Amino acid sequence: MPAIRNQIRELRAQREITQQDLADRVGVTRQTVIAMEQDKYSPSLETAFKVALELGVPIEQCFQYDPKGKR
Amino acid sequence: MASLSYREKTLYASLVAELIVYGPYFFLHQQNSVNKVAGMIVAIIVLQVVLQLIIAAFTRNRRTDERDKLIELRGYRAGYLVVASLMVVGLAMLWFHSTMGQMHFDNPKIGLHFLNVFFGMLVIADITKTATQIVAYRRAL
Repeated sequence: MPAIRNQIRELRAQREITQQDLADRVGVTRQTVIAMEQDKYSPSLETAFKVALELGVPIEQCFQYDPKGKR
Repeated sequence: MASLSYREKTLYASLVAELIVYGPYFFLHQQNSVNKVAGMIVAIIVLQVVLQLIIAAFTRNRRTDERDKLIELRGYRAGYLVVASLMVVGLAMLWFHSTMGQMHFDNPKIGLHFLNVFFGMLVIADITKTATQIVAYRRAL
């Protein structure tokens, strides 16, 4: 399991936001949103805050840290 | 190609350009000259510019982000490690051959030989850099 996991896909689906829409709002590429949703890329703190802000949730609801996870 | 980011497309174009221009370098080693090396450098620049212009013209979203920068850094790191390793191997071989009396520094073609070796190192490092970046994109990092 990765050290940092996220609920971007679920939160995005609830709000009916496309990957491209979220990418445009956050200022990243759609491929980066895909990589984050697959838990293959851990974004910077700034991007993580932006994602949480755009999804309208506190950052801890969007991203979770697992100290036993693989970095 | 639609699922590829702008940066990823440019990397594939770079790899194609590198293989087209540098490919013959490995197979025509004996016929190399200073002019040929200079020609390859000019050719790679021209080909890269043309390919990048074409990709830029056909790609609407040319945004790059932090992940692109991170992957770029990974590529440069891999390229640096390759060029540094090859340099160490090259110096060790130079030392070995000179110790064994097999180096003839009075040979008029020795300069061209060194040029070929160093250029070859840079070519391998450049291809490694690009390939590393493509692999990172394919693995989604």
